[in-house]
Amino acid sequence: MPWKSDYTISDEVGMADDAVRWPDGKRCCLSVTVDLSLAANPDGLRASDLTNSIAVFGLNEGTEQLRALLNRFGIKATVTVPAAMANILGGTIETMIADGHEIAAAGLKHEDVSELSRDEEEARIGLATEILAKSIGHPPAGWFSLPRQNDDFSVGTVSPHTIDLLIDAGYTYFGNGLADDIPHYWVSDFETRRSLLALPYYYHFDDQFFLMFPRAGTGLEHPDTLFANWNAELKAQYKRGRHFNMTLHPYAIGWCNRLKLLEDFFAGLAEFPGLWNPTGAEAAAYWRETYPAETHLNLEPSIWEDHPGSLS
Amino acid sequence: MSGVAELSREIAALEAQAVAYGGRYEFLSDFALPDDCKIAVNFTCDFDAMLLRRVLNETPMQFARGEFGGRVGIWRLLELFDSHDIKATIFTPGRICELYPKAVRAAAEGGHEVADHMWEHRVPKEPGLERDHIAKSTAALTALTGKRPVGSRSRHNVTALTEAGYIYSSHGSAHHLPHYISDADGANALLNIPFHFAIDDAMFFSFAWQGSGNTAQRITEPGRIEEMWWAAFEQQYRQQYPGGGYLNICLHPFVSGRALRIDMLDRLITRMKSKPGVWFSTCEDVARHCLDAFPPTVDGEA
Repeated sequence: MPWKSDYTISDEVGMADDAVRWPDGKRCCLSVTVDLSLAANPDGLRASDLTNSIAVFGLNEGTEQLRALLNRFGIKATVTVPAAMANILGGTIETMIADGHEIAAAGLKHEDVSELSRDEEEARIGLATEILAKSIGHPPAGWFSLPRQNDDFSVGTVSPHTIDLLIDAGYTYFGNGLADDIPHYWVSDFETRRSLLALPYYYHFDDQFFLMFPRAGTGLEHPDTLFANWNAELKAQYKRGRHFNMTLHPYAIGWCNRLKLLEDFFAGLAEFPGLWNPTGAEAAAYWRETYPAETHLNLEPSIWEDHPGSLS
Repeated sequence: MSGVAELSREIAALEAQAVAYGGRYEFLSDFALPDDCKIAVNFTCDFDAMLLRRVLNETPMQFARGEFGGRVGIWRLLELFDSHDIKATIFTPGRICELYPKAVRAAAEGGHEVADHMWEHRVPKEPGLERDHIAKSTAALTALTGKRPVGSRSRHNVTALTEAGYIYSSHGSAHHLPHYISDADGANALLNIPFHFAIDDAMFFSFAWQGSGNTAQRITEPGRIEEMWWAAFEQQYRQQYPGGGYLNICLHPFVSGRALRIDMLDRLITRMKSKPGVWFSTCEDVARHCLDAFPPTVDGEA
């Protein structure tokens, strides 16, 4: 087996707390992802995802409420948009950019690409990039493969080709990495050390899994748990000087008492002086410059051996 | 319609199976901890990273979620245990020695017990291959740590484990206290250090655990589990048994290695340490104490 493919995506040992530095002596990185996708199923956006009252709320008042809150607390977000929603979200995208937020790609239809051929996936990445570039005036820097409510897993889905194709397409970071809780390099080819920077994501800080999950009417409502997770992780990561990411969906977090919890959380940030709040592109640019893969990605040859009767 | 005689035979067969199975267990009625301790606490890590997800042929992102445990989580847990001067048991699949040799070596060098957790986190159905996997895992752990593992957290059958030289397993919860379980013939009694899913981090924080669907997710916040496990500790601490209680806390580095849960565990350990008579030990320590003071008495093993 070349390196540890099909098992690992990055180097053997993550970066220790005391090696992590943020710009201008900041103590901890706080990143906010706002996912505007309404796709609920692995096959991506369906008409039914867009034609219900919760979708209308998310596209309108939910987004406005969240945007107002971000602006009130001066928080910059990375806003992820499936290309198929670019026109539907035209006005929102313009406003978000004007507010200083970054627009990143959330796939063509926010679909699961894991079963697609490489050619098919490449074509979809190309089309998504073209549509979003037209919408925002330049190709997006970041690509997110966030989970949908009816996925089997809570981590998002990529194919074995995705990272390689994203590098080819000019993306400079992947938005939802899970192998670390700071930025880390996702290796697409061991021999050439080809890699793409991944920013941290964890589903325990993603609102969609706590707010009427997995679906309105029969799902579970645990905003208090979400709030507790945000606070516990921010406190822990601040102490370590690492990175805290939270992922928000306007259709979910924008509603009533949930929005108040978010307001309370943002208000509580004042107790954490020295937070650095970059967009995804800003965080990725800083990391690549400060901790370039050439010097900070420590790949070692595999000692793995194949055996009869064992998985390769 | 079944006849009364047939139904009676069916009931008798069920009774016979239950009696035969129950007869394989030997509980330690005179169990007592050393030095008048009130409770033994074993912190155990199932260091399987992404291996189960690989066995289940899941997706690259699921593997990356597990990878967190190998490159980040295990190091944090070792640091946490060391900061409290606690020696833990790291149940490690043999394959992990090839994926994360530095972490496994660091655990052993830090004085923690490195024990078996299957070769690649599965137990083959074929007896010959099962023995082959036990041998491979044993060899890999021995080569990396310099010490032969003596315990296994697995569903490996007791005969295969005892024949391979293992002195205990830690899987199953037939009793709060360590106990013996024999094979179907009443031989090969193996000490079992109890493990219960109620004290397992994956039950509370791991989405899609063992294929659970979205409507069955148990994703909660650490404070709730801190109180739940503290209650478990107190229940065992309060001398439910004359010779002291026992608590095995099962942690997965890809789950409990997350920063918010390390903080929770730090608080939990600090609370436990505030009580006198707590024996923080490895599973091997508990096993050797039991084997020495309370050897099995089942057929041929006294």
